[in-house]
Amino acid sequence: MAFHDQNNNHTNGEVSKKPKLSFSAITDTEIQSKFSHHDPTVVRLNNGAFGCCPSSVLAAQRQWQLKSLRQPDHFYFNHLQKGILHSRTIIKDLVNAQHVNEISIVDNASTATAIVLQQASWAFQEGKFNKGDSVVMLHYAYGSVKKAIEAYVTRAGGRVIEVPLTFPVTSEDDIIREFRHVLEKTKSEGSSNKVRLAVIDHVTSMPSMVIPVKELVKICREEGVDQVFVDAAHAVGCTPRVDMQEIGADFYTSNLHKWFFCPPSVAFIYTRKSVNSVDLHHPVVSHEYGNGLAIESSWIGNRDYSAQLVVPTVMEFVNRFEGGIEGIKERNHDCVVEMGEMLVEAWGTHLGTPHHMSASMVMVGLPPSLGIMNECDAMNLRTHLREFFGVEVPIYFRDGGEVGCVSGYARISYQVYNKIDDYYKFRDAINQLVSDGLTCAFLSS
Amino acid sequence: MASEKNNHHRSIPDINGTHPTPKKPKLSSSSNFITASEIQSEFSHHDSAVSRINNGSFGSCPSSILSAQQQWQLKYLRQPDHFYFNHLKPAINNSRSIIQNLVNAKDINEISIVDNATTAAAIVLQHTAWCFREGKFNKGDVVVMLHYAYGAVKKSMEAYVTRAGGKVIEVPLPFPVSSNDEIVTEFRKALEKGKVDGKKIRLAVIDHVTSMPCVVIPVKELIQICREEGVEQVFVDAAHSIGCTDVDMQDIGADFYTTNLHKWFFCPPSIAFLYTKKNPKTGGGGDLHHPVVSHEYGNGLAVESAWIGTRDYSAQLVVPEALEFVNRLEGGIEGIKKRNHEAVIEMGEMLVKAWGTHLGSPKHMCASMVMVGLPTCFGVRSDSDALTLRTHLRDVFGVEVPIYYRPPRDGEVDPVTGYARIFYQVYNKVEDYYKFRDAVNQLVDNGFACTLLSK
Repeated sequence: MAFHDQNNNHTNGEVSKKPKLSFSAITDTEIQSKFSHHDPTVVRLNNGAFGCCPSSVLAAQRQWQLKSLRQPDHFYFNHLQKGILHSRTIIKDLVNAQHVNEISIVDNASTATAIVLQQASWAFQEGKFNKGDSVVMLHYAYGSVKKAIEAYVTRAGGRVIEVPLTFPVTSEDDIIREFRHVLEKTKSEGSSNKVRLAVIDHVTSMPSMVIPVKELVKICREEGVDQVFVDAAHAVGCTPRVDMQEIGADFYTSNLHKWFFCPPSVAFIYTRKSVNSVDLHHPVVSHEYGNGLAIESSWIGNRDYSAQLVVPTVMEFVNRFEGGIEGIKERNHDCVVEMGEMLVEAWGTHLGTPHHMSASMVMVGLPPSLGIMNECDAMNLRTHLREFFGVEVPIYFRDGGEVGCVSGYARISYQVYNKIDDYYKFRDAINQLVSDGLTCAFLSS
Repeated sequence: MASEKNNHHRSIPDINGTHPTPKKPKLSSSSNFITASEIQSEFSHHDSAVSRINNGSFGSCPSSILSAQQQWQLKYLRQPDHFYFNHLKPAINNSRSIIQNLVNAKDINEISIVDNATTAAAIVLQHTAWCFREGKFNKGDVVVMLHYAYGAVKKSMEAYVTRAGGKVIEVPLPFPVSSNDEIVTEFRKALEKGKVDGKKIRLAVIDHVTSMPCVVIPVKELIQICREEGVEQVFVDAAHSIGCTDVDMQDIGADFYTTNLHKWFFCPPSIAFLYTKKNPKTGGGGDLHHPVVSHEYGNGLAVESAWIGTRDYSAQLVVPEALEFVNRLEGGIEGIKKRNHEAVIEMGEMLVKAWGTHLGSPKHMCASMVMVGLPTCFGVRSDSDALTLRTHLRDVFGVEVPIYYRPPRDGEVDPVTGYARIFYQVYNKVEDYYKFRDAVNQLVDNGFACTLLSK
């Protein structure tokens, strides 16, 4: 099995690619050292939930914190804004935004979502959108995003339409077809009600799959959807082609602490310059209200902004890997797919998504004998794996299967600190549960 | 200062320059009290070249609490899933429980932990906006606030209340102020104005301690007036209060109350709580929600606020350590408050005597801070001048102190237009204030004026 180390060197004895001489490539030992604060007894296959941060970046963060604590007034007047602007500039280049004003730094994708949806809420309340106009979202939209849509859109009189998606999924065409169908149906209902906003995941959370956002944004434009918001919580450092010009959305958010090695927590929200940004404001209103979202977000009251200031340090870290962030993404993808295939072969199951719809995560079918019958079972199994086997991996319950079919999927991730042994440990844990005859019914009793 | 046991450094002299007789230390628990040198050590991460007399802006955090915070951060980073499922909520509840007891709230559900008072204000005012939008309040109904309300809160009023159709009435306040009565009179007048044409006053936003200029407001009295005059709800913005003023939810009687714990309660940046009085009729907390909506939406503000997406919650988890630290000082938080107040007044009077100016408010309207008039020859003529002077003091003299520009009123002859807002916190020493005194004296000697700097 050709398992890649971080510099594309095959470990099975094949001739390794010549390393670039012009930079000091990070070694495997260094990588392990930088993540030595992770619990060594735990196999960490859930990078998608909370991300990870190398110790060198944590140390840089600590420096920023100490700088602020040392003389906070001086820090506030002379360092903070510059530091945040520096981070924003790096992000702008990373995602190919046209102007740094299009990039605002916020805590996390949840905050970005609140910003976009509050704007929609005002529009409904102030009559800019009519009651009954719609907001479209995917069936597999993240749980807290669904709640935000309820809190801001439904409450303000907007109608919410879900695009049904199937899982397992075999091709992007299914998603594109369903999406187009929903938009066309809404239009054909004949009323004057418009689709004001489409909320599209770049990578869904559970079950995880890469959504063809570029195509969906195009359909939105064709079908006259007012605004498109891409919830790309995972995207930066995980999916290929995080390019604002290419994707073409009005709003786009991604966390940087999930796959871009930032400490918890920091995310950005991209707002296309052509959109009327006056209505878009940070919900925590402070002195900078009215000066544009980017400036507002850089001061929302007294707090610790240090996580937002280490983006330059993270770039340095990322560029120590061959190919930088693109190289990391590519290798993570190759590895997670390889590991996923290894697992399904060992367990006699299947992957929930084709390779090209998996980024750094893949859904791996679990043996039906485990008897995962509901979400509670999935959670119990996850807890059991954590407590008895030291394996941290989220489990998804897939409704609607027949008895004897795969009803549970593990969402495994691959990040630079992972090793092949992590996945063997998981494989063996499940094999042991199966041979012990353990079922989820037993776990919940 | 003189009342601390093991007082290894000079106690603050009175204005005659004599040192007061040290009070007899309590013998029973004296061995546990923190010493003066331990205090300096706990704050040794502060820039020693700077006289830090602005605790009110950003607060301060002892190194033992910063270490405790770091432990929490490492625990999380070590295994975040396990932390999320098994540690986070109990730790937040522990903090909330301590706060509940500290502020005498009846029910732990009345205490939500948020980032800062700015966030708390957004929560309350967003709720007000919904009420206007959903017809619960009528367009033109009133929200009252003080003229000296914090700038960010005024913007929040604009963003949520004015935008949603509410009318905002400001209570003008005099400064310098000489008694609570002046404030009460203006407040009553504003309420009368609000009730004109049959409009209802839906909310009064009252500072417990205004920011600039810094004055303790008689909130209890104002709330009573609100109840008498039929104001529906009262929100007290007490950004400064815990560790600085008295904070008793039953005594104060507000519907909503927020204070930062990183200003005067030694927590790291940043943490605040929002108290929401339980409605005895509905049992609910007033239907507020956190603007960052996450999985816990609908489960009540306290539970919602405990998870608003992935982030670093560690500052919210060290409230137990903050309480421990506070109890290492004689008299605990009450002792600290009292000594801070006495010391800052003493320092304020020392300064006004040295400069020939006056304090901006009487002692009973100051807490751990006081507004000190600056020599008129400085010619502070704008907010910009005030900021320039502040920067000059920082860059040239190593003194960190906010300066307030007080516009002159008609008929005033050579008024004091600049005030320094000085604070006193446990790490301060008398030398900090001498340094400030001498800096200002030097500027006066040099014929300094703000116009010179702004060229």
